[in-house]
Amino acid sequence: MCGIVGFLDKCRGTDRPVGQTILALLQALSCRGPDSAGVALFDTRDEWRVRVSVPGGHDLDAAAATLCELGVVVQRHYRNGVYDALLGSGADASTLEERIRHRLPGTEVICLGRRLNLFKQVGSPDQLEATYRISALCGSHGIGHTRLSTESRVDLSHSQPFWAHGVPDLATVHNGHITNYHKLRRRYEQKGYRFFTENDSEVIGVYLRDRLAAGLSLEDALSSSLDDFDGSFSYLAASGDRLAYVKDRFGFKPLMVAETDAFVAIATEEIALWKALGGDFVAREPAPGSLQVWPVPTTPVATAR
Amino acid sequence: LTFIIDCQGKSTREINRELRAAITAGQRDMRVLAPDARHNLGVALLEPVRVVFEGSVGYYCAGMMDGAHVEVRGSAGWGTAESMMGGTVVIDGNAGSGVAASIRGGTVVVRGDAAARAGVSMKGGTLLIGGGCGYMAGFMMQKGRIVVCGDAGDALADSMYEGVVFVGGKIASLGNDAVVEEPTAEDRAWLHDLLTTYNVPAPAALKKIVSGRKLWNFDKKELEVWKAAL
Repeated sequence: MCGIVGFLDKCRGTDRPVGQTILALLQALSCRGPDSAGVALFDTRDEWRVRVSVPGGHDLDAAAATLCELGVVVQRHYRNGVYDALLGSGADASTLEERIRHRLPGTEVICLGRRLNLFKQVGSPDQLEATYRISALCGSHGIGHTRLSTESRVDLSHSQPFWAHGVPDLATVHNGHITNYHKLRRRYEQKGYRFFTENDSEVIGVYLRDRLAAGLSLEDALSSSLDDFDGSFSYLAASGDRLAYVKDRFGFKPLMVAETDAFVAIATEEIALWKALGGDFVAREPAPGSLQVWPVPTTPVATAR
Repeated sequence: LTFIIDCQGKSTREINRELRAAITAGQRDMRVLAPDARHNLGVALLEPVRVVFEGSVGYYCAGMMDGAHVEVRGSAGWGTAESMMGGTVVIDGNAGSGVAASIRGGTVVVRGDAAARAGVSMKGGTLLIGGGCGYMAGFMMQKGRIVVCGDAGDALADSMYEGVVFVGGKIASLGNDAVVEEPTAEDRAWLHDLLTTYNVPAPAALKKIVSGRKLWNFDKKELEVWKAAL
């Protein structure tokens, strides 16, 4: 199973934070994935930031000091060992992840970018809300995931969304099973890419990173994934200025899309759209083998925050 | 007199229990408000009642039912009317994958489009689709009739044993052993009646697809091929 959701606020004229909508969509799909929950939200703060999870065993204050030495300015840390930090002047985004992992072994870089805000943990969407207050987060768009694990471990690292390591502001959520994962993983490991988990869904981000590095646009990279991935997948990809879905050629996994002048809403099941949004819209099930990319409008935020 | 059930704030189980209690109390005409795409609504209705869902429904709506008349004033999710024995289901919008799968009797009408695997393994009854349908419609059907007024997807009527499929639009591709035939005068009269009854606009012409019956028997000439393959 697993539930995936996506939301794009087209006019940003509403008072309702995007986080609240994404959370409501996700809560409606709690029963599809009780193991873990996560969201990737894109806000308009536009400053380089990184979120890391430092495993137990490290002294938390010492870890903060180490991060500081790497040019990372810790803004806050949660009791579960997750740090929010800004990249200070001395930090280099492209090599930061390796340097952090070298200095603080076992540390997971959850996300890195200028707009991406990624939260995930073991447990339900309600528990995610209790830890991170997702419902108060404003922004333009985002994606979310509830996980029912089938193959790999249930922990923070294996939960979704996945940040596409190495590509700032690119995140994915996936419902299904990429059956040629091991083959793809071998190929990409030979090319020097690093995998951080045993979760087959992680390969989507690695694949997109590789295709983008080869000069493809995000649209073309998503399109070629229809040929290169085997198995069942409905997946969403979101970057600072794009929201997209991709659906496998057999339509093995459900996905519903509702689009109005005001928003684009995507969810595994239509019931989530009605629970989270209500109102006047028509939900449609995209055709097997299809994809769509929505640009995020760059118009200024209508309401002052 | 119409009995009204409002789904707001209720679980699927509560809604279905209310439906059942109303039927037991003698109600024959029911409207279900704000179904909001909940799954498993109106499953296993066995009485000649009329149930109207005022909005979209989720998966398996009106499945395993016999003799009721169900209307959906919206779209329907996967597996709608699956395994129904008799009665009618009319969906105003689109239907998800596997609509009318394995039905044994009755009529299912989809006014919009149907997704993949519509009417697979049908064992009787009629599936009428006002729009187009996805891939493998009528796969392994054994009896019954499917009418697609719009375009049909790939592998239409693949490996069907018996039954018949009519298509008004383009066929992306025919499945194994599916053969196009000329509709008879009897077919045309039946189609006219069906389309008129459910007020579905008739396409200019309908192609008829039946089983070539080549897969009915094992062909001994292929024995060596099979031995090598196995």
